[in-house]
Amino acid sequence: MENIISKKDLVDRIEGLLKDFEIIGPRELPNKGIFYQPIVNAGDLYLGDSFTVEPVKKYFLSPSEYLFKENLEQGAKPVEELPLPGAGRIIIGVRPCEARGLVLLDKIFDAEYKDDFYTSNRKRSVIVGLSCLMPDKTCFCTSMGGSPAENRGMDAILFSAGDGFIVEIITDKGKDIFGALGSDIGKEEKKAWELDKEKRKGALEKRITAPESLDGTFESVYWQKASLACLSCGICTYLCPVCHCFDLVDEERKKLKCYDGCAFVDFTLHASGENPRPTKKERYRQRVFHKFEYFKKNFGENLCVGCGRCIRHCPVKIDIADIVDKAPLTQ
Amino acid sequence: MNSTNSNIYLPYLTEIVDIRQETSDIKTVRLKFKDAAAGKSFDYKPGQFVELSVFGEGEAPFCISNSPTRKSGIECSIKRMGKVTQAIHELDIGDTVGIRGPYGNGFSVEGLKNKNILFVAGGIGLAPLRSLINYCLDNRDKFKTITIVNGARTSKDLVYKDEYEIWKKAKDTHLHLTVDCQEENWACMVGVVPRILEQLTPTCKDSVAIVCGPPVMIRFTIPVLLKIGFCPEEIITTLEMKMKCGLGKCGRCNIGHVYICKDGPVFTNKQLDELKYEF
Repeated sequence: MENIISKKDLVDRIEGLLKDFEIIGPRELPNKGIFYQPIVNAGDLYLGDSFTVEPVKKYFLSPSEYLFKENLEQGAKPVEELPLPGAGRIIIGVRPCEARGLVLLDKIFDAEYKDDFYTSNRKRSVIVGLSCLMPDKTCFCTSMGGSPAENRGMDAILFSAGDGFIVEIITDKGKDIFGALGSDIGKEEKKAWELDKEKRKGALEKRITAPESLDGTFESVYWQKASLACLSCGICTYLCPVCHCFDLVDEERKKLKCYDGCAFVDFTLHASGENPRPTKKERYRQRVFHKFEYFKKNFGENLCVGCGRCIRHCPVKIDIADIVDKAPLTQ
Repeated sequence: MNSTNSNIYLPYLTEIVDIRQETSDIKTVRLKFKDAAAGKSFDYKPGQFVELSVFGEGEAPFCISNSPTRKSGIECSIKRMGKVTQAIHELDIGDTVGIRGPYGNGFSVEGLKNKNILFVAGGIGLAPLRSLINYCLDNRDKFKTITIVNGARTSKDLVYKDEYEIWKKAKDTHLHLTVDCQEENWACMVGVVPRILEQLTPTCKDSVAIVCGPPVMIRFTIPVLLKIGFCPEEIITTLEMKMKCGLGKCGRCNIGHVYICKDGPVFTNKQLDELKYEF
């Protein structure tokens, strides 16, 4: 179901929803960029063409999540769990690549051994997407099986159209929010919208071919060269919408689950001093193989949505898409 | 799996009820569940592991070193190495630690039935094997000859010394102890484990070899076993990795697409060859 809505209708509707829901969406922060933030005034919502610096991942997997607190000495309740988040919330302005990222994360955290923190965050969130009109030069979602117009993982998606939006309703949750807002899309408008979707897909310039398997390149010196410039800063893993490696950390009486990443030297370091991934070559190769080989073997898809964040924000301009594209398969 | 709790990161609380000093830097702790019902439902296989946490210090993976047949609680043998193990070494009887688990695949006990079993251990590598050795001895009729080759750098580094006599006296069970270099008053064998295996040449007929020890020992032991005539699928080992979550999620213990914590830690040599794993 698709409706045409004006920008004012949308802002008014969100303003109305603010009474009952937490709403999260992109906001422009002066001198910083665009960030997903809790929205207080619907007018603050940024629904333009630029992309957020951080992915929406942090609202499902927190950079530092408090799992439980130990109170052995108090006695009454030796281990105190944090109540799971339950209140419904709407996340608006999620790009198609990131919404697809959530579907990929489900395969890890909403599978065998469910992570309740993740699944309850998923359950309580309504995802309202925002189709991309002007992809960044680092975007390559179409090479990863996605598209700026795809609606996978969303409850509704907005397409900018003239002064307003076309809203495509995908699930009942989406219908609850937008149903009956605006006017039904006409036949001609629908045709134009279909054309517009194709145009959006065609707007991506960066195209790569991820090989079926990188297996044959595992021993190649290529990975040493590819990782040479890497500073092991880990920004690629933090900003990736699907990187999900974590550490469990004791901080005084609290157990925290914190972001961690394969770029760091101590990620796999044993207490004995042994390190199965001792140099940048092994660590960077692990990042690429996890995304384009291992995850694919286990779950049938690349663990990369082509959002381009790791390329845009890498301080030494390492381009994972280019590296995968040029991997020496014939070796 | 921790079935009574929905929070997969939440440990069971256990009390340390016994501490044995195995060597100068290895202690075996025995743990009793504070919640008796949880203890009763905690069912594990030899070769599985737990995430043991010292609150405020951290959590680390340790294999369960006693056999489930003994029903005496969970035992872990811990070498003082890093932050968590140091903290465990400083604990006393009566102190509380958390455990999550049991995790991992463990040894396929069914696959070992009616076979000769050759255990090859080096140093603290005897810990996961001890669980299976005692499991086999407690179900003695189900297995053929049991041969244990156990080595350590020096006689002071041998673990579970108080069980050697019991193992030696068990029906159709042979124990060969070795140390790397000759020592005074040492009556058993001398030489590194692969050399001793070459000398002993245990039968490969209807046999399975189960190897655990430092990577360098495993690296040199596997070719000897292959030479004796063991097939790669008859050589079983259990790997060690930095496993944080134990659930195949945290992303650090994988070899290729396989997660050691979930798909392992027990693998056949054939599986490791396919994963191109090198010790």
